[in-house]
Amino acid sequence: MNLTQLTELVKASGADAWQITQVLREGMEFYFIRQALDQNRFVETNHTTVRLFKELDGGQAIGSASEEIPPTASKEEAQELLASLLGRASYASNPYYTLNAPAEPVSASGQKAPDVAQVAKTFLETMRSIPASDEACLNSYEIFANVKTVRLLNSRGVDLTAVYPDSMLEVVVNANRGEKEIELYRISRMGSCDAAELKRSLAETMRIGQDRLRAQPMPKLGNIPVLFTSADVKELAGFFISRMSASFKKRGYSDWEIGKPLFDGKMQTPLSLETKLFLPNSSCNRFFDEEGALRRDAVLIRAGVPECFLGDRQFSCYLGLENSFQPGNYTLSGGTESEEALRTGDYLEAVEFSDFQTDALSGSLGGEIRLAYWHHDGITTPVTGGSISASMLENAASMRMSKELRQYDNMEVPAAIRLENVSVTGIE
Amino acid sequence: MLKSDGMRYNMNIRYEIRRKEHLFRQVPWKGEEQEALKAPFSNYLTEIAPGLKALIASLGEHYEYVSALSTDSRGFMVRVSKHAKSVNGRTMTTERGTVIRVMRGGLYSEYAFNEFDPLEAIGKAGEIRAALDRQLALMDACGVDIYKTGPLEDEPLELFAEMETGTLPEETDFDELIRQLTEVSKAASGAGEHVIDCHVVAQSTHISKLFLTKNRDLRQSYVYSEASVMPIGAKDGRNEMAFSGISGRKGPELFEELPALVERNVRKVGEMLDAKRVEPGEYEIITTPGVSGLIAHEAFGHGVEMDMFVKGRALGADYIGKRVGSDLVTMHEGAACAVNVTSYAFDDEGTLAGDVTEIDRGILKNGICDALAAKRLGTAPTGNGKRENFEHKVYTRMTNTLFDSGSSSLDEMIASISHGYLLDGSQSGMEDPKHWGIQCMVQRGYEIVDGKLSGKVVAPVCLTGYVPDLLGSISMVSTDREVFGNGGCGKGHKEWVKVADGGPYLKARARLG
Repeated sequence: MNLTQLTELVKASGADAWQITQVLREGMEFYFIRQALDQNRFVETNHTTVRLFKELDGGQAIGSASEEIPPTASKEEAQELLASLLGRASYASNPYYTLNAPAEPVSASGQKAPDVAQVAKTFLETMRSIPASDEACLNSYEIFANVKTVRLLNSRGVDLTAVYPDSMLEVVVNANRGEKEIELYRISRMGSCDAAELKRSLAETMRIGQDRLRAQPMPKLGNIPVLFTSADVKELAGFFISRMSASFKKRGYSDWEIGKPLFDGKMQTPLSLETKLFLPNSSCNRFFDEEGALRRDAVLIRAGVPECFLGDRQFSCYLGLENSFQPGNYTLSGGTESEEALRTGDYLEAVEFSDFQTDALSGSLGGEIRLAYWHHDGITTPVTGGSISASMLENAASMRMSKELRQYDNMEVPAAIRLENVSVTGIE
Repeated sequence: MLKSDGMRYNMNIRYEIRRKEHLFRQVPWKGEEQEALKAPFSNYLTEIAPGLKALIASLGEHYEYVSALSTDSRGFMVRVSKHAKSVNGRTMTTERGTVIRVMRGGLYSEYAFNEFDPLEAIGKAGEIRAALDRQLALMDACGVDIYKTGPLEDEPLELFAEMETGTLPEETDFDELIRQLTEVSKAASGAGEHVIDCHVVAQSTHISKLFLTKNRDLRQSYVYSEASVMPIGAKDGRNEMAFSGISGRKGPELFEELPALVERNVRKVGEMLDAKRVEPGEYEIITTPGVSGLIAHEAFGHGVEMDMFVKGRALGADYIGKRVGSDLVTMHEGAACAVNVTSYAFDDEGTLAGDVTEIDRGILKNGICDALAAKRLGTAPTGNGKRENFEHKVYTRMTNTLFDSGSSSLDEMIASISHGYLLDGSQSGMEDPKHWGIQCMVQRGYEIVDGKLSGKVVAPVCLTGYVPDLLGSISMVSTDREVFGNGGCGKGHKEWVKVADGGPYLKARARLG
């Protein structure tokens, strides 16, 4: 069943409103052990999801239900699925809200479709050019080159199409010193292959691997300043992003208010948080969100003061937000000091965790350290083991950010963030 | 102690559930006899099977090995909270599609697709060959070397397994289900002044999978369900959430057990809101079965996935036959060693489900292995070849990973500790198979002083350590054991699959922070 036929069935389903999202994926995948090809895969799929809405209680409420309609479904099977969906929708009653209406896209057409084979070829050539040495090499890597075509239609007339690359690379690096060998794991999402950035980040990873090989056991440091200088900075940014989402606000998980300075205006770095329609080579450069709302540049927090909440259609309607959307790209900025200026006194620079996490709900953050640098009395010592823990609720006010920014896929964040009074568990 | 409270509450609401019995068709009440219902195998897969066999035969003219895995798994996820209700036909395992695996000249290649007309099988074979040849040309242009592997075993085998279930997800009465979940959410939200919301999630999936080669025809279908209650509390600007789940290779009748989780979970949220931070250090600990399961999963689940042996990424390869834990540690892994969300009859490569003894009284005995890694290592596959879905590659993955029971009681274990913590509520974990470092995020810890719970709670707790040290320190193991299947497991930070894990209460020593 094609999209046109399915759309006609949806229109005739009896739903009061509907949305159809079709995602076509063309993917080439290559899996390597060292530099030998383990497997290659080709993926060609069509996923079409229908969401039906039913007005309830005389228009005071609305319910919805969604399901993927397989492209192999017959007309009868599709009709049966849609009937079932409509029934389900009538039981999931929520306060009334409307679907997104059509708007004029900033960049709706004229996009040149990327060639998945070319994206894959650039990845292959780049990865095969990564030098191996006695001290560091690629253990294994996996290339996922994808081009997606997303079309979204709804009952209010939205009809949007975007074609974009959405790729991923997983790399395991081994670093060696004599008999001792360690590994470092990296996974990155990106639009297509940025060869220069890839080579730079892998060279950095190999350098970090050498430092980890000579790392000392983490001493018992108690509560000290910690400087975050790796992709884990994204986790810290995620705390602010979640707290500015419409659903967090409506559900009462965020007590932040528009116009009211965060942390009673006591933030050492009055940060700004913005959404970006495009960031270079982001995998999230689609100009519309999952419900057909157009994405744009917008300010969520300006100089430490919340300016607007954003989010999905349902919770945006509940909060009365106009022109809301689910962002794809973010920039966290506002630091006035250089990264160098943040490197003062004794501090721990954390660069590699087992799995660093920040819980947006509670504000708790922590993780086991695989590599950090203990800067003490002017001496820098690589250390490993132990863990850190802290709370953004207690630490964010004293947070300091570098003015230099660094991009990790869909997030542009400070190159360094410093938190004071972080608890460090040692193993020494 | 925690359990008895939960059961008492369960008894209180039993009458309420009994009245709703019509919600789940074909569920016998205790004592009533009824013929067991089986999860029917997909009609769609039955219809396309002849076309797939024609496709395999056509590709077989050009490749040394050809297999097809086709899936047709449907289900639902219902979410209810104070502010929103939703019904989604997507769970972690819903899918319909096919992946073809071929081998020529030692190179394994795959083609995944979800548009297939069984009457056009020969044409599809041509498309597949053309697509894979395009990739080969690309690889040749880049001068790629091949990691050559021989053909997989293809001994004749037929299986048709429709597993028993109480009910089917496709026959669920959503009106009643949503009403029941809403009652649970409201009961939690109204149970404590600090509770501002309660998310209740129920999901059920009817799996059907078909695996074909020239000589194999394997078909299976089963239903698994899982549900969770997550009350959220707020106090003095602080938010906390407690999580409890239920799971099983059962139909939506499982959701009858949800109300029993409410009181216990609401109390836990209150405890977490008043919790202090743990003073970092090494302590005697007792892990609840959920946390024991998390340790099992992270310690010698990932650590003995043998596709990591092929890459030289796992220390476990050097420790087979050596001590990695105390005499009290015995651990099993396999789809056949428990009945839960991932207890299938065969894996995604057509290997029958297994039950592997990974650790026997502290000695590391065996790893788990997918078929391709087994071929490369010269060993036998263990039924652990799993895909996230048909679009994804097979890796060696866990199924049920469990510590065996011991001979102590929880009360004896608590009484034996002068100062330590009872750790409860597994959140997430990460292990480094190359170095056996382990990290487990735990929701809370109950302080034990002089053999008794002091009433002090710490949260959250980050447990870290070196796997052999942690398992080697296990000094008491309880008689009971529980299995949990609410979690998902990633390989690195991707490839999410369903897993179950568990065990008894364990007493050990670990670093907490």
